[in-house]
Amino acid sequence: MSDSPWFDALRGILDRSHLWTPDDITPTVNAALAGLGIQVRIWLIDHEQVALRTLPDTGRILPVDSCPAFTLVSSRPEGDRLWVPMVDGTDRLGVIEFLPAPPEVERCEMIAGLVGHLIGTIAERGDLIESTRRTRPMSPAAELLFRLLPPLTSSTDRLVTSAVLQPCYEVGGDGFDYAHDDTTAALLILDAVGHGLPAGLACAVALSAVRATRRAGGGLAEQARAADAALLEQFPDSRFVTAVLAEVDLAGGRLRYLNAGHPAPLLLRDGTMMRELTGGRRMPLGIEDDTPIAEEALEPGDRLLFYTDGVTEARSADGDRFGLPRLVDLIEKHESAGLPTPETLRRLAHAVLEHQDGPPADDATLMLVQWSATAASNTVPTAGRTVREEQTT
Amino acid sequence: MTDHSLTVTTRAVGERVAVLTVSGEIDRASREVLATAAADVLEQGRHRLVLDLTGLEFCDSSGLSLFVELHRRTLALAGGLRLGGARPLVATVILATSLDRLLRLHPTADAAVDAALRDD
Repeated sequence: MSDSPWFDALRGILDRSHLWTPDDITPTVNAALAGLGIQVRIWLIDHEQVALRTLPDTGRILPVDSCPAFTLVSSRPEGDRLWVPMVDGTDRLGVIEFLPAPPEVERCEMIAGLVGHLIGTIAERGDLIESTRRTRPMSPAAELLFRLLPPLTSSTDRLVTSAVLQPCYEVGGDGFDYAHDDTTAALLILDAVGHGLPAGLACAVALSAVRATRRAGGGLAEQARAADAALLEQFPDSRFVTAVLAEVDLAGGRLRYLNAGHPAPLLLRDGTMMRELTGGRRMPLGIEDDTPIAEEALEPGDRLLFYTDGVTEARSADGDRFGLPRLVDLIEKHESAGLPTPETLRRLAHAVLEHQDGPPADDATLMLVQWSATAASNTVPTAGRTVREEQTT
Repeated sequence: MTDHSLTVTTRAVGERVAVLTVSGEIDRASREVLATAAADVLEQGRHRLVLDLTGLEFCDSSGLSLFVELHRRTLALAGGLRLGGARPLVATVILATSLDRLLRLHPTADAAVDAALRDD
């Protein structure tokens, strides 16, 4: 079959995308695919990653657990229709339902890939994408924070980084950042003292100071000192931020990190927990201190789990802490199931939430990094996957 | 999470030392109780503070940041802050954040008071 109707469809979507609003997306895609006799329904994931909702919202709800196209990032036929993951890069935005199911799965993934990218770029220019993804209002602190954060998931040929923050409509003091560049992955997790907007502001100050210094070429110690200075200047009440700052050399696997009063990251190898990375300790950001840098040699396939104490300190109604052993046990279990990294994290975050019977007392953030070409390719929709050899040097 | 969860009593030792006996839980709601008590003592001219933590059952990061703030304020007044008698749970929180590099911990309140009296 000729590709030209598909090319025409892509062109129809792109041509309209310069001037469209979020309301136009579904009608535009449908108009573009009309020549192929296909209709679509676009589903967006909610922020809590529990259910998918149509764009525009029609009240229909699709539970995530019944949608493997989303959870496994893999296209699935179901009866007369085809479910295709919709990602922006590798950040899971939702799924597109194609009806009737065309035989050209890769072509559908191409359309979904384009629509995913375009939704990613338009999401901040109108409110409809965001309001469709919200099941309740966001606190000002969470609104501030999410504007600062990079996408929850990002992959390159060599590694994948994925994060989850809970409670997603009220987070304030927790944050994360990463920068995937050619030779280095920079990683950051943060937890500011207190709750709500004051904590969110401290987190924003620390994150911005670290990011600005990193983008100016500053190393880990310099980034930490910049955050110290910015926090000291802004918060005379000794508000501090615990954090881990790290960088991975993507050719050789050398990990360098410092830990400013934060829970030690975990190193997982071959599916099991190796150890906590307890080096590089100094006081929290905002309290000037020596800044020792610790080093660790990663092996191909290794995973690093960064978390805030809201994860391990989460308590059930009868006071039982979620705790580190339970966290390790769950992540080992999901590793053996071979789930895509963002799906492992989604399930971990929900396990923490379910452990607490009431509203969470603290922000809980998880960031999982896997230095693996296979893990990275698992975050890309199936038919387009080209599995590359694992890095060996 | 009410501010009644924390009680602070104050006593003077010698000319310059004040001991604040802290009982209950410090969190973001209750930290003001200790902040106010400490501010009163500093205003009265006692700049060497000892926090007797023997009765402290819980301390979150808001409490830790108050300790850091009191450390800085007393130092600026040529005084100082010492913590005594922290229970394992509270000591763990301080160690986990590496704040033992800043805050001076003593096994008992008496040891903290002795050290504060020797600060000359």
